Amino acid sequence: MKLELTLNGRPCVTEAPGHWTVLDLLRDGLNLMGTKYGCGEGVCGTCTVLADGRPIRACLVLAAHVRGRALVTVEGLERDGRLDPLQTSFAERGAAQCGFCTPGMLLAAKALLAQNPAPTVDDVREALAGNLCRCTGYTKIVDAVLAAAPGAR
Amino acid sequence: MRLYPFDLVEPDTLPAALDALSPLDGEARLVAGGTALVPMIRLGLVKPDRVISLHRLPELAEVRRDGGTLQLGAMARLADIDTAPTVREGWPLLAEAARRVATPAIRVSGTIGGNLCYAEAASDPAPALLCLEAEVRVAGAAGGRTVPVVDFFRGFYETALAPGEIVTAIRVPATPAGARSGYVKFTSRSAEDRPLVGVAALVVRDSSGRWDDVRIGLGGVAPTPIRAPRAEAVLRGEAPGDATLRAAAEAAAREAEPLSDLMGSADYRREMIRVWVRRLLTSLRDGARSA
Repeated sequence: MKLELTLNGRPCVTEAPGHWTVLDLLRDGLNLMGTKYGCGEGVCGTCTVLADGRPIRACLVLAAHVRGRALVTVEGLERDGRLDPLQTSFAERGAAQCGFCTPGMLLAAKALLAQNPAPTVDDVREALAGNLCRCTGYTKIVDAVLAAAPGAR
Repeated sequence: MRLYPFDLVEPDTLPAALDALSPLDGEARLVAGGTALVPMIRLGLVKPDRVISLHRLPELAEVRRDGGTLQLGAMARLADIDTAPTVREGWPLLAEAARRVATPAIRVSGTIGGNLCYAEAASDPAPALLCLEAEVRVAGAAGGRTVPVVDFFRGFYETALAPGEIVTAIRVPATPAGARSGYVKFTSRSAEDRPLVGVAALVVRDSSGRWDDVRIGLGGVAPTPIRAPRAEAVLRGEAPGDATLRAAAEAAAREAEPLSDLMGSADYRREMIRVWVRRLLTSLRDGARSA
Protein backbone atom coordinates (compact mmCIF):
# COMPACT_ATOMS: atom_id res chain seq x y z
CA MET A 1 0.00 0.00 0.00
CA LYS A 2 1.43 3.36 -1.05
CA LEU A 3 1.22 6.22 1.41
CA GLU A 4 1.81 9.90 0.86
CA LEU A 5 1.76 12.19 3.85
CA THR A 6 3.55 15.10 5.44
CA LEU A 7 5.91 13.99 8.16
CA ASN A 8 7.44 16.57 10.48
CA GLY A 9 6.93 19.25 7.86
CA ARG A 10 8.37 17.31 4.92
CA PRO A 11 6.60 15.36 2.19
CA CYS A 12 6.91 11.62 2.73
CA VAL A 13 6.14 8.89 0.20
CA THR A 14 6.39 5.38 1.52
CA GLU A 15 4.93 1.87 1.47
CA ALA A 16 3.25 -0.04 4.27
CA PRO A 17 1.19 -3.22 4.59
CA GLY A 18 -2.52 -2.60 5.19
CA HIS A 19 -2.44 -4.04 8.70
CA TRP A 20 0.26 -1.65 9.91
CA THR A 21 -0.59 1.02 12.43
CA VAL A 22 0.93 4.49 12.40
CA LEU A 23 3.33 3.26 15.09
CA ASP A 24 4.52 0.38 12.88
CA LEU A 25 5.00 2.87 10.04
CA LEU A 26 7.03 5.29 12.16
CA ARG A 27 9.26 2.82 13.98
CA ASP A 28 9.65 -0.02 11.50
CA GLY A 29 8.96 1.68 8.18
CA LEU A 30 10.62 5.05 8.74
CA ASN A 31 13.07 4.23 11.53
CA LEU A 32 11.80 7.01 13.78
CA MET A 33 12.23 5.51 17.26
CA GLY A 34 11.11 8.53 19.30
CA THR A 35 7.50 7.34 19.38
CA LYS A 36 7.24 4.49 21.89
CA TYR A 37 5.17 1.33 22.10
CA GLY A 38 3.62 1.11 25.54
CA CYS A 39 0.34 -0.65 26.21
CA GLY A 40 -0.89 -1.20 22.64
CA GLU A 41 -4.43 -0.41 23.74
CA GLY A 42 -4.53 3.39 23.64
CA VAL A 43 -4.42 3.73 27.40
CA CYS A 44 -0.85 4.80 28.28
CA GLY A 45 -0.35 7.60 25.73
CA THR A 46 3.36 7.20 25.08
CA CYS A 47 2.72 6.63 21.34
CA THR A 48 0.84 9.94 21.01
CA VAL A 49 1.65 11.87 17.82
CA LEU A 50 -0.13 14.76 16.12
CA ALA A 51 -2.22 14.33 12.97
CA ASP A 52 -3.26 17.66 11.50
CA GLY A 53 -2.45 19.19 14.87
CA ARG A 54 -4.61 16.87 16.93
CA PRO A 55 -3.33 14.11 19.19
CA ILE A 56 -3.82 10.51 18.09
CA ARG A 57 -2.64 7.17 19.41
CA ALA A 58 -0.16 5.83 16.88
CA CYS A 59 -0.74 2.29 18.22
CA LEU A 60 -4.47 2.41 17.40
CA VAL A 61 -4.69 4.32 14.14
CA LEU A 62 -4.12 2.39 10.94
CA ALA A 63 -1.35 3.79 8.75
CA ALA A 64 -3.84 4.05 5.88
CA HIS A 65 -5.84 6.53 7.94
CA VAL A 66 -3.07 9.15 7.94
CA ARG A 67 -2.72 9.18 4.17
CA GLY A 68 -2.58 12.81 3.05
CA ARG A 69 -2.40 14.14 6.59
CA ALA A 70 0.33 16.06 8.42
CA LEU A 71 2.03 14.02 11.15
CA VAL A 72 4.28 15.43 13.84
CA THR A 73 6.37 13.15 16.04
CA VAL A 74 8.77 14.05 18.82
CA GLU A 75 11.55 14.16 16.21
CA GLY A 76 9.69 17.03 14.54
CA LEU A 77 9.46 19.31 17.56
CA GLU A 78 12.86 20.91 17.22
CA ARG A 79 13.34 23.71 14.71
CA ASP A 80 16.75 24.36 13.10
CA GLY A 81 18.52 22.51 15.86
CA ARG A 82 16.68 24.36 18.61
CA LEU A 83 14.44 22.46 20.97
CA ASP A 84 10.78 23.32 21.25
CA PRO A 85 10.05 25.49 24.32
CA LEU A 86 8.19 22.51 25.78
CA GLN A 87 11.27 20.31 25.49
CA THR A 88 13.46 22.98 27.12
CA SER A 89 10.91 23.42 29.88
CA PHE A 90 10.72 19.65 30.54
CA ALA A 91 14.52 19.46 30.70
CA GLU A 92 14.93 22.49 32.94
CA ARG A 93 12.28 21.39 35.40
CA GLY A 94 13.23 17.72 35.60
CA ALA A 95 9.88 16.68 34.17
CA ALA A 96 11.23 13.30 33.10
CA GLN A 97 12.78 10.40 34.94
CA CYS A 98 13.06 7.32 32.75
CA GLY A 99 11.76 9.33 29.79
CA PHE A 100 9.59 6.63 28.25
CA CYS A 101 6.39 8.68 28.58
CA THR A 102 8.05 11.94 27.54
CA PRO A 103 7.43 11.87 23.76
CA GLY A 104 3.72 11.35 24.31
CA MET A 105 3.61 13.96 27.06
CA LEU A 106 5.30 16.50 24.80
CA LEU A 107 2.94 15.97 21.89
CA ALA A 108 -0.21 15.92 23.99
CA ALA A 109 1.01 19.17 25.55
CA LYS A 110 1.90 20.59 22.14
CA ALA A 111 -1.68 20.00 20.95
CA LEU A 112 -3.03 21.67 24.07
CA LEU A 113 -0.86 24.78 23.79
CA ALA A 114 -1.69 25.21 20.10
CA GLN A 115 -5.38 25.33 21.04
CA ASN A 116 -5.07 27.07 24.37
CA PRO A 117 -1.96 29.25 24.84
CA ALA A 118 -2.82 30.08 28.46
CA PRO A 119 -4.12 26.88 30.04
CA THR A 120 -5.00 26.46 33.70
CA VAL A 121 -3.63 23.61 35.81
CA ASP A 122 -6.91 21.76 35.25
CA ASP A 123 -6.68 22.27 31.47
CA VAL A 124 -3.19 20.73 31.50
CA ARG A 125 -4.24 17.82 33.67
CA GLU A 126 -7.22 17.12 31.43
CA ALA A 127 -5.12 17.29 28.26
CA LEU A 128 -2.58 14.88 29.78
CA ALA A 129 -5.16 12.57 31.39
CA GLY A 130 -4.38 9.92 28.81
CA ASN A 131 -0.61 10.03 29.30
CA LEU A 132 0.71 7.86 32.09
CA CYS A 133 4.02 8.41 33.90
CA ARG A 134 4.96 5.53 36.19
CA CYS A 135 8.14 7.08 37.59
CA THR A 136 7.60 10.37 39.30
CA GLY A 137 4.06 11.56 39.27
CA TYR A 138 2.85 14.53 37.37
CA THR A 139 3.66 17.69 39.32
CA LYS A 140 6.81 18.62 37.41
CA ILE A 141 5.26 17.64 34.09
CA VAL A 142 2.28 19.93 34.68
CA ASP A 143 4.62 22.69 35.88
CA ALA A 144 6.76 22.32 32.76
CA VAL A 145 3.76 22.59 30.43
CA LEU A 146 2.44 25.65 32.28
CA ALA A 147 5.85 27.33 32.13
CA ALA A 148 6.10 26.70 28.38
CA ALA A 149 2.66 28.13 27.63
CA PRO A 150 3.08 31.16 25.35
CA GLY A 151 0.27 32.95 27.16
CA ALA A 152 1.78 32.33 30.62
CA ARG A 153 2.64 35.41 32.66
CA MET B 1 3.52 -5.58 18.65
CA ARG B 2 2.20 -6.00 15.13
CA LEU B 3 -1.40 -6.74 14.40
CA TYR B 4 -2.24 -10.16 13.06
CA PRO B 5 -2.17 -9.56 9.27
CA PHE B 6 -5.37 -8.81 7.39
CA ASP B 7 -6.27 -7.40 4.01
CA LEU B 8 -7.28 -3.76 4.27
CA VAL B 9 -10.00 -2.62 1.91
CA GLU B 10 -10.77 1.08 1.50
CA PRO B 11 -14.00 1.45 -0.48
CA ASP B 12 -15.03 4.93 -1.57
CA THR B 13 -18.74 4.30 -1.92
CA LEU B 14 -21.24 2.77 0.46
CA PRO B 15 -22.33 0.08 -2.06
CA ALA B 16 -18.67 -0.91 -2.45
CA ALA B 17 -18.35 -1.13 1.33
CA LEU B 18 -21.45 -3.34 1.53
CA ASP B 19 -20.04 -5.51 -1.27
CA ALA B 20 -16.74 -5.87 0.54
CA LEU B 21 -18.61 -6.90 3.68
CA SER B 22 -20.92 -9.56 2.28
CA PRO B 23 -19.48 -12.35 0.13
CA LEU B 24 -16.40 -13.68 1.81
CA ASP B 25 -14.81 -16.85 3.03
CA GLY B 26 -13.66 -15.93 6.49
CA GLU B 27 -14.28 -12.97 8.72
CA ALA B 28 -14.65 -9.34 7.71
CA ARG B 29 -14.74 -6.41 10.13
CA LEU B 30 -15.43 -2.73 9.66
CA VAL B 31 -13.05 -0.16 11.05
CA ALA B 32 -13.89 3.47 11.75
CA GLY B 33 -11.48 5.13 14.20
CA GLY B 34 -9.87 1.87 15.27
CA THR B 35 -9.98 2.63 18.99
CA ALA B 36 -12.02 -0.51 19.66
CA LEU B 37 -11.17 -2.87 16.79
CA VAL B 38 -7.39 -2.45 16.85
CA PRO B 39 -7.00 -3.46 20.54
CA MET B 40 -9.40 -6.36 19.94
CA ILE B 41 -7.23 -7.62 17.10
CA ARG B 42 -4.07 -7.06 19.12
CA LEU B 43 -5.50 -8.98 22.08
CA GLY B 44 -6.56 -11.82 19.78
CA LEU B 45 -10.26 -11.38 20.51
CA VAL B 46 -11.02 -11.13 16.80
CA LYS B 47 -8.92 -12.29 13.88
CA PRO B 48 -10.44 -10.78 10.72
CA ASP B 49 -9.20 -11.84 7.29
CA ARG B 50 -10.42 -8.58 5.84
CA VAL B 51 -10.79 -5.17 7.44
CA ILE B 52 -12.96 -2.64 5.62
CA SER B 53 -12.16 0.97 6.40
CA LEU B 54 -14.98 3.51 6.17
CA HIS B 55 -12.66 6.53 6.16
CA ARG B 56 -13.14 7.27 2.46
CA LEU B 57 -16.88 7.82 2.83
CA PRO B 58 -17.09 11.53 3.67
CA GLU B 59 -20.89 11.49 3.83
CA LEU B 60 -20.52 9.27 6.91
CA ALA B 61 -18.59 11.97 8.81
CA GLU B 62 -21.19 14.73 8.84
CA VAL B 63 -22.44 16.55 11.93
CA ARG B 64 -25.40 18.55 10.73
CA ARG B 65 -28.71 19.97 11.86
CA ASP B 66 -31.57 19.02 9.57
CA GLY B 67 -34.61 21.02 10.67
CA GLY B 68 -35.07 20.04 14.30
CA THR B 69 -33.10 16.82 13.94
CA LEU B 70 -29.39 16.25 14.47
CA GLN B 71 -27.84 14.10 11.76
CA LEU B 72 -24.65 12.41 12.83
CA GLY B 73 -22.75 10.36 10.31
CA ALA B 74 -21.60 7.10 11.85
CA MET B 75 -18.00 8.27 11.31
CA ALA B 76 -18.50 11.55 13.20
CA ARG B 77 -15.65 11.76 15.72
CA LEU B 78 -16.51 12.09 19.39
CA ALA B 79 -14.23 15.16 19.57
CA ASP B 80 -16.18 16.80 16.74
CA ILE B 81 -19.53 16.01 18.37
CA ASP B 82 -18.30 17.48 21.64
CA THR B 83 -17.03 20.70 20.06
CA ALA B 84 -19.64 21.31 17.33
CA PRO B 85 -21.59 24.47 18.24
CA THR B 86 -24.72 22.87 16.74
CA VAL B 87 -24.49 19.97 19.18
CA ARG B 88 -23.50 22.07 22.18
CA GLU B 89 -26.44 24.41 21.64
CA GLY B 90 -29.15 21.99 20.60
CA TRP B 91 -28.11 18.69 22.19
CA PRO B 92 -25.99 19.62 25.22
CA LEU B 93 -26.59 16.22 26.81
CA LEU B 94 -24.92 14.47 23.89
CA ALA B 95 -22.02 16.95 23.81
CA GLU B 96 -21.47 16.43 27.54
CA ALA B 97 -21.46 12.64 27.22
CA ALA B 98 -19.14 12.69 24.18
CA ARG B 99 -16.71 14.88 26.13
CA ARG B 100 -16.51 12.29 28.90
CA VAL B 101 -15.29 9.47 26.68
CA ALA B 102 -11.75 8.41 27.60
CA THR B 103 -9.07 10.97 26.72
CA PRO B 104 -8.53 13.68 24.08
CA ALA B 105 -6.57 11.45 21.69
CA ILE B 106 -9.22 8.72 21.84
CA ARG B 107 -12.01 11.22 21.14
CA VAL B 108 -10.11 12.55 18.12
CA SER B 109 -10.16 9.06 16.54
CA GLY B 110 -13.20 7.35 18.06
CA THR B 111 -16.54 7.67 16.26
CA ILE B 112 -20.14 7.69 17.43
CA GLY B 113 -21.05 4.81 15.13
CA GLY B 114 -18.10 2.78 16.32
CA ASN B 115 -19.03 3.44 19.92
CA LEU B 116 -22.54 2.09 19.39
CA CYS B 117 -21.46 -0.89 17.26
CA TYR B 118 -18.88 -1.95 19.84
CA ALA B 119 -21.91 -2.26 22.17
CA GLU B 120 -19.86 -1.65 25.27
CA ALA B 121 -22.25 -1.70 28.25
CA ALA B 122 -20.23 1.11 29.84
CA SER B 123 -20.55 3.46 26.85
CA ASP B 124 -20.70 7.16 27.73
CA PRO B 125 -22.70 8.37 24.69
CA ALA B 126 -25.24 5.51 24.72
CA PRO B 127 -27.17 6.59 27.86
CA ALA B 128 -27.40 10.11 26.41
CA LEU B 129 -28.68 8.80 23.07
CA LEU B 130 -31.19 6.61 24.92
CA CYS B 131 -32.53 9.69 26.72
CA LEU B 132 -32.66 11.64 23.46
CA GLU B 133 -34.51 8.71 21.81
CA ALA B 134 -32.12 8.62 18.89
CA GLU B 135 -32.42 6.29 15.93
CA VAL B 136 -29.72 4.32 14.16
CA ARG B 137 -29.73 4.23 10.36
CA VAL B 138 -28.54 0.93 8.99
CA ALA B 139 -27.61 0.07 5.39
CA GLY B 140 -27.63 -3.45 4.01
CA ALA B 141 -27.51 -5.18 0.65
CA ALA B 142 -31.33 -5.36 0.70
CA GLY B 143 -31.75 -1.66 1.55
CA GLY B 144 -31.85 0.57 4.60
CA ARG B 145 -33.68 0.38 7.89
CA THR B 146 -33.99 2.41 11.06
CA VAL B 147 -33.51 0.97 14.53
CA PRO B 148 -34.33 2.98 17.67
CA VAL B 149 -31.25 3.08 19.90
CA VAL B 150 -33.27 1.40 22.65
CA ASP B 151 -33.66 -1.65 20.38
CA PHE B 152 -30.11 -1.51 19.00
CA PHE B 153 -28.42 -3.14 22.00
CA ARG B 154 -29.38 -6.80 22.21
CA GLY B 155 -26.98 -8.28 24.72
CA PHE B 156 -23.44 -8.31 26.03
CA TYR B 157 -21.41 -6.75 23.17
CA GLU B 158 -24.27 -7.67 20.85
CA THR B 159 -26.27 -5.38 18.56
CA ALA B 160 -29.29 -5.65 16.28
CA LEU B 161 -27.03 -5.52 13.21
CA ALA B 162 -27.39 -8.47 10.85
CA PRO B 163 -24.33 -9.84 9.04
CA GLY B 164 -23.46 -7.57 6.13
CA GLU B 165 -25.08 -4.45 7.59
CA ILE B 166 -23.37 -1.10 8.22
CA VAL B 167 -24.47 1.68 10.54
CA THR B 168 -24.45 4.83 8.45
CA ALA B 169 -25.94 7.52 10.67
CA ILE B 170 -27.51 8.40 13.99
CA ARG B 171 -30.58 10.65 13.95
CA VAL B 172 -31.25 12.55 17.13
CA PRO B 173 -34.66 14.22 17.54
CA ALA B 174 -34.79 17.73 18.94
CA THR B 175 -34.17 18.11 22.65
CA PRO B 176 -37.58 18.95 24.18
CA ALA B 177 -38.04 22.68 24.76
CA GLY B 178 -37.09 23.75 28.26
CA ALA B 179 -35.46 20.43 29.10
CA ARG B 180 -32.82 20.13 31.76
CA SER B 181 -30.31 17.41 31.15
CA GLY B 182 -26.99 16.10 32.34
CA TYR B 183 -24.55 13.21 32.26
CA VAL B 184 -22.49 12.03 35.21
CA LYS B 185 -20.09 9.14 35.36
CA PHE B 186 -18.46 7.44 38.28
CA THR B 187 -15.14 5.74 37.67
CA SER B 188 -13.54 3.51 40.28
CA ARG B 189 -9.98 3.53 38.93
CA SER B 190 -9.08 6.74 37.09
CA ALA B 191 -10.90 9.75 35.70
CA GLU B 192 -10.55 8.76 32.04
CA ASP B 193 -11.75 5.19 32.56
CA ARG B 194 -15.01 3.84 31.22
CA PRO B 195 -17.77 4.39 33.74
CA LEU B 196 -18.43 1.95 36.55
CA VAL B 197 -21.81 3.66 36.45
CA GLY B 198 -22.84 6.33 33.95
CA VAL B 199 -26.12 8.22 34.30
CA ALA B 200 -27.78 10.46 31.73
CA ALA B 201 -31.06 12.18 32.48
CA LEU B 202 -33.38 14.62 30.80
CA VAL B 203 -36.40 16.19 32.46
CA VAL B 204 -39.05 18.65 31.34
CA ARG B 205 -41.10 20.49 33.94
CA ASP B 206 -44.60 21.83 33.41
CA SER B 207 -45.58 25.33 34.56
CA SER B 208 -46.33 24.06 38.08
CA GLY B 209 -42.90 22.45 38.42
CA ARG B 210 -44.06 18.88 37.88
CA TRP B 211 -41.86 16.64 35.78
CA ASP B 212 -44.05 15.65 32.85
CA ASP B 213 -41.21 14.16 30.79
CA VAL B 214 -38.52 12.16 32.56
CA ARG B 215 -35.87 10.07 30.83
CA ILE B 216 -33.03 8.23 32.51
CA GLY B 217 -30.33 6.27 30.68
CA LEU B 218 -27.75 4.12 32.43
CA GLY B 219 -24.39 2.74 31.32
CA GLY B 220 -22.30 0.05 32.95
CA VAL B 221 -25.16 -1.31 35.04
CA ALA B 222 -26.44 -4.17 32.86
CA PRO B 223 -25.21 -6.26 29.91
CA THR B 224 -26.17 -3.32 27.67
CA PRO B 225 -26.83 0.39 28.15
CA ILE B 226 -30.45 0.70 29.35
CA ARG B 227 -33.29 3.11 30.01
CA ALA B 228 -34.65 3.04 33.57
CA PRO B 229 -38.44 3.02 33.03
CA ARG B 230 -39.37 2.20 36.62
CA ALA B 231 -37.29 5.03 37.98
CA GLU B 232 -38.84 7.34 35.37
CA ALA B 233 -42.35 6.22 36.43
CA VAL B 234 -41.60 7.12 40.04
CA LEU B 235 -40.89 10.69 38.96
CA ARG B 236 -43.39 11.31 36.17
CA GLY B 237 -46.01 13.87 37.18
CA GLU B 238 -44.20 14.66 40.42
CA ALA B 239 -42.57 17.81 41.68
CA PRO B 240 -40.02 15.63 43.39
CA GLY B 241 -38.83 16.19 46.92
CA ASP B 242 -35.74 14.48 48.30
CA ALA B 243 -37.68 11.35 49.30
CA THR B 244 -39.08 10.92 45.77
CA LEU B 245 -35.65 11.35 44.23
CA ARG B 246 -34.30 8.70 46.61
CA ALA B 247 -37.17 6.39 45.65
CA ALA B 248 -36.39 6.88 41.97
CA ALA B 249 -32.71 6.13 42.55
CA GLU B 250 -33.72 3.01 44.47
CA ALA B 251 -35.97 1.94 41.59
CA ALA B 252 -33.09 2.42 39.16
CA ALA B 253 -30.79 0.33 41.33
CA ARG B 254 -33.41 -2.44 41.43
CA GLU B 255 -34.13 -2.51 37.71
CA ALA B 256 -30.43 -2.60 36.82
CA GLU B 257 -28.75 -5.95 36.25
CA PRO B 258 -25.17 -5.14 37.13
CA LEU B 259 -22.28 -7.51 36.50
CA SER B 260 -19.15 -7.93 38.60
CA ASP B 261 -15.82 -7.25 36.97
CA LEU B 262 -12.37 -5.80 37.68
CA MET B 263 -13.81 -2.32 38.17
CA GLY B 264 -16.27 -3.31 40.86
CA SER B 265 -18.73 -5.88 42.14
CA ALA B 266 -22.40 -6.01 41.19
CA ASP B 267 -23.35 -4.93 44.73
CA TYR B 268 -21.01 -1.94 44.57
CA ARG B 269 -22.44 -0.95 41.18
CA ARG B 270 -25.97 -1.09 42.58
CA GLU B 271 -24.95 1.15 45.45
CA MET B 272 -23.28 3.60 43.06
CA ILE B 273 -26.44 3.69 40.91
CA ARG B 274 -28.35 4.81 44.03
CA VAL B 275 -25.79 7.54 44.69
CA TRP B 276 -25.27 8.89 41.17
CA VAL B 277 -28.88 8.76 39.99
CA ARG B 278 -29.91 10.68 43.09
CA ARG B 279 -27.10 13.23 42.68
CA LEU B 280 -27.85 13.91 39.04
CA LEU B 281 -31.61 14.16 39.55
CA THR B 282 -31.09 16.48 42.52
CA SER B 283 -28.88 18.79 40.48
CA LEU B 284 -31.46 18.82 37.65
CA ARG B 285 -34.24 19.63 40.09
CA ASP B 286 -32.23 22.39 41.71
CA GLY B 287 -31.38 23.93 38.35
CA ALA B 288 -27.65 23.32 38.38
CA ARG B 289 -27.82 22.08 34.81
CA SER B 290 -30.01 23.03 31.90
CA ALA B 291 -30.41 22.50 28.20
